[in-house]
Amino acid sequence: MGAKLNSEWEPQLLGFLCKWCSYGGADLAGTSRKKYPPNIRIIKVPCSGRVDPLFVFKALQMGFDGVLVSGCHPGDCHYQTGNFRARRRIAITKKFLEYMGMEPERIQASWISASEAGKFVEVVTEVTEGLKAIGPNQLFDEQRP
Amino acid sequence: MNSDHKMQQKLRHEAKALLEQDKVDLIIGFEAGSLKFTTTPLITKSKDDLDRLVINPFIVNNLALFLPDFKGRIAVASKGCDSRSIVSLIQDNKVSRDDLVIIGIPCPGMIELRKVEKLTGKDRDELDDIIREGDKVVITVDGKGSEFPIAEVLSDNCLACEFPTPQDYDILLGEPTATSQESRVKSRESRVKGQGSRVQSHGEGGGLQSEASPDSRLQTLKAMSPQQRWEFWRKEFSRCIRCYACRNICPSCFCKRCFVEESEPRWLMPMPRWQENLMFQAIRNIHLAGRCTDCGGCERSCPVNIPLRCLTKEMYDLVDELFHFKAGMDKDAPPLMTHYEQEEAEDLIR
Ligand code: SF4
Ligand code: SF4
Repeated sequence: MGAKLNSEWEPQLLGFLCKWCSYGGADLAGTSRKKYPPNIRIIKVPCSGRVDPLFVFKALQMGFDGVLVSGCHPGDCHYQTGNFRARRRIAITKKFLEYMGMEPERIQASWISASEAGKFVEVVTEVTEGLKAIGPNQLFDEQRP
Repeated sequence: MNSDHKMQQKLRHEAKALLEQDKVDLIIGFEAGSLKFTTTPLITKSKDDLDRLVINPFIVNNLALFLPDFKGRIAVASKGCDSRSIVSLIQDNKVSRDDLVIIGIPCPGMIELRKVEKLTGKDRDELDDIIREGDKVVITVDGKGSEFPIAEVLSDNCLACEFPTPQDYDILLGEPTATSQESRVKSRESRVKGQGSRVQSHGEGGGLQSEASPDSRLQTLKAMSPQQRWEFWRKEFSRCIRCYACRNICPSCFCKRCFVEESEPRWLMPMPRWQENLMFQAIRNIHLAGRCTDCGGCERSCPVNIPLRCLTKEMYDLVDELFHFKAGMDKDAPPLMTHYEQEEAEDLIR
């Protein structure tokens, strides 16, 4: 992830957005010309339940500064239960990696429906601000500060 | 005759009866190991081998490990933690309860040789005998026996054990262990108070003190800043040689193909760099959520003494705190990760 710690540094956020809700929310934000930080790169997944904790860890190991997993609100999952399962996985992944020493800001999750363009903008803005505050991800650098 | 010996007699007797009456095809237990104060698993179909079965304070291996590998009816000797691993395997549909005869050992705890060596200042080869007598241990050196409270030499995970008596069994080899856990902790604490600086550092465990109370290593870690914790694990995992002993000894790591060996996509490189080692262990622990019963096998098996229980125990506590779930308590309950409640863990999500 190239340039670190210079004044032009901008956090890189990887979003895993579910196809039915959160991706729709992001799309709506775009089509309604709402402004949100360009720091997020989006991977569309069929369901938040598709997101393996491995994906989250690997993204951070590859140098992303933060990861956002987002799906439908509880009760609204296209597959009925996918986001409930995702919630258990995200909870232990986040808590456990925090225990190992990752900053809480780097692992984020949200429920955003296809009509919540406003919430999408809000979440991406907040998460990006949080990442700016803690600085670049140097967790896996060979020489750590 | 001490209680270990009584249980051993009963075990041999019961195992013989089971084979003779054709109730099982296979017996899984422990026999004496090739080194002093060690044991090794005994897996046999033959009655003639059964006199080699032993019960002593060194039967550390979690025998649940072998169950998915064998077909047929199996009788398996099982301590408290092993029995929970068995129940967990039943929950995951890896073994069937109907095929099992669980011979329960009400467990008085396992003795850690390293602690005995520290206590006596002798190498394990110089010790004549280590015998457990209730909540005392008698260590004989040069023909002279000295008595110590058992809590001084028990394994860390045994000091923290919540359920020493098997959760599920067909035969129990003795009286259920009175939750000696609390008394163990108590006697340990009073000793530590009395002797101040007796507690010494734990192997190469990065300066973490060995147990003053069962969870003190975790508390030390939790009191650190995230940066310090990450640095701690970075250092620890730079020693890891990726031998996978910790995974191979683990009954909950039952995958035929582990993610570390996956090549499409390749999640991690085989070379033991700390970044990859740390990833292996982080993901392994996530896979073990709701399965690990804190048997301590991984930490015991690690050739470079990485304090792996500081990870497994944290996950154990975490699933309890978040989802009120304890591994291997109820064979009819769904596994942690296939289940959910309508309302839980919402505070972690925006
Ligand atoms: S680390 Fe995970 S994938 Fe590998 S054997 Fe254990 S549970 Fe299976
Ligand atoms: S047993 Fe120890 S050295 Fe071997 S892979 Fe596990 S953590 Fe690494």
